Amino acid sequence: MSAETLHFVVGEEKKVRELLLDADVLPLLKGALAAGASCARVTGDDGEELWGACSPAGRGELLRSLPLMLEGEPVAHLELFGAPEMRERLEPLASLLIVALDTVLRNSLKRVLTTEIHTSVVNSSHEELVAMNAELARSEARYRELAENLELRVKERTAELRRAQAHLLQQEKMAAVGQLAAGVAHEINNPLGFITSNLHTLQKYVARFCAMLQFYREHLELEQPRERLVTEAETKWRELKLPHVMADVGDLMAQSLAGAERVSRIVADLKGFSHVDESGESVVDLNQELERTLTLLSHQLAGRAEIVKELQPLPEVKCQGQLPGQIFLNLIQNALTHAGASPRITLSSCFDGERIRISIADNGPGIPAALRGQIFDPFFTTLPVGSGTGMGLAVVWEAVLKLQGTVAVADAPGGGADFIITIPAGRN
Amino acid sequence: MIEFDEKERRMVLKLVYYGPALSGKTTNLLQLHDLLTRQGRGELMVLDTSGDRTIYFDLLPFFLTAPSGLKIKVKVYTVPGQVCHDATRKAVLQRADGVVFVADSNRAEAGNNVVSFDNLERNLSLVGLDIDSIPLVIQFNKRDLPAAVPEEEIRTVWDPTGIPVVMASALNGVGVAETFAMLAGLVYDRIDARFALAATHALTRERFIAQLTSLKEEP
Repeated sequence: MSAETLHFVVGEEKKVRELLLDADVLPLLKGALAAGASCARVTGDDGEELWGACSPAGRGELLRSLPLMLEGEPVAHLELFGAPEMRERLEPLASLLIVALDTVLRNSLKRVLTTEIHTSVVNSSHEELVAMNAELARSEARYRELAENLELRVKERTAELRRAQAHLLQQEKMAAVGQLAAGVAHEINNPLGFITSNLHTLQKYVARFCAMLQFYREHLELEQPRERLVTEAETKWRELKLPHVMADVGDLMAQSLAGAERVSRIVADLKGFSHVDESGESVVDLNQELERTLTLLSHQLAGRAEIVKELQPLPEVKCQGQLPGQIFLNLIQNALTHAGASPRITLSSCFDGERIRISIADNGPGIPAALRGQIFDPFFTTLPVGSGTGMGLAVVWEAVLKLQGTVAVADAPGGGADFIITIPAGRN
Repeated sequence: MIEFDEKERRMVLKLVYYGPALSGKTTNLLQLHDLLTRQGRGELMVLDTSGDRTIYFDLLPFFLTAPSGLKIKVKVYTVPGQVCHDATRKAVLQRADGVVFVADSNRAEAGNNVVSFDNLERNLSLVGLDIDSIPLVIQFNKRDLPAAVPEEEIRTVWDPTGIPVVMASALNGVGVAETFAMLAGLVYDRIDARFALAATHALTRERFIAQLTSLKEEP
């Protein structure tokens, strides 16, 4: 509230004309006439008549003049006129009239002051309410704007996070593929190494075979006696260490062929795992996908982990070919990461007529119940900062969702974690 | 200043008794009405009360005429002390020329005194008045109470502020006229130079105070 908003100032002067009405004063003055006065009037402090009542017979003599006070100040006078012989009778009447006028005046002032202060208070209360209302409206508008913006900002942030998450998932997949590629390269390198080395040896052997054949060809043209030829040939044969070469060459060839076969099998597995030849959905056998994954991970598993397989025949599933590989790869790598020094991974699969159930259990420390709600969240990891992206199981979750299945974790018998994937069979 | 009319030769001054609920503001006016002579004093107008508590305000008007003929009306108001009547307090405070702050000497009321004084300061600024320049007298009322805070303690707090403090027992008429006289003097000091009361209207400070606070003669 400010000083300007008040319409009344408490204490502003009131004029007697504002406080007394004709209806208040005239009946009293007429009463004086009826009581014998020839004229009764109220005059202002300047002597001007404010109210008056006179008989037609004329004013007569001024018998009594009494001041009318307003807030201690004489503001008017009551004057009674009449015949001198009426003085004694009219003087008490004048006193009575002034008391009546004073009472009316004070009550009227009280009423006006009450009205003014009441109006002031109501106005200021109303103004405060209006101001408060306006402030509330402004605040609500601000809030609404904020809420709308907030929703927009949250949407933007969510989209941003989704993009970042998708990007990270992709990165995780790429990292897994990279790891796989490194392992596979190592796997191929080994047979390739000895095939190359065998070929070098074979090159030397072939040179000796050629030298021996060359010897025969030249000596046959010389037409030497047969015994001499036999002796010289025998000498040359030993010189070229051909008995040893003859013994070795078979092994060398067999070994190289086996190596080449191993390389081609790995390449076939890799192609199968990546389903690079298939576009869109294809029909897969999940057991075969498990086996392929194990083959690709053999460099990590061989001599380090014990793999127990309890696989039962499964119906084929139609899906994007890479999905099962992504699931199994991440789960088996997880098991290897957490299962300690001598990991044992048990892979089992079964079909109950409706659903395919695949379990990957390890002999690690297991997953505490409190964490089970979080482990599939992106970025959630129990590994030290920088060691894990927290994306492996998120990849699994996404892939299982695409297969319209579910993935859950339970306690493996004898401790450890048991990841159970359930996929409806006969998806169209 | 409510009004200064050179043509009409009139001046209307407004004095306000402020303070916490039940500190004795209305009692001060009742006592002034009873103690002072009827000459130039209007009737006390108690607007409305609810169980002896002021709802709007009380008004005690005075009327005096300077030797020059200048008519001076002094209207003395109380405000309702109860916290809920803040809008009324603000309305009454408008254009006030001086304030008496009636504090309750009862030690238990010290907190209410502080709250009410803060409220006075805030409301004065809201109606465009400055507590540092408006004539202000503090009256510590109810000195007759056994639990009254000792005078030295009060003086220690208030004397450094330079605001005059009067001890009173309004119910017994003690300190009431002194409080009013002190405020009248401060108001005179404030308006004398501006309206040339002494120079033009021959109204001295003493005369102004005497006209407002002449006690009834002992019967």
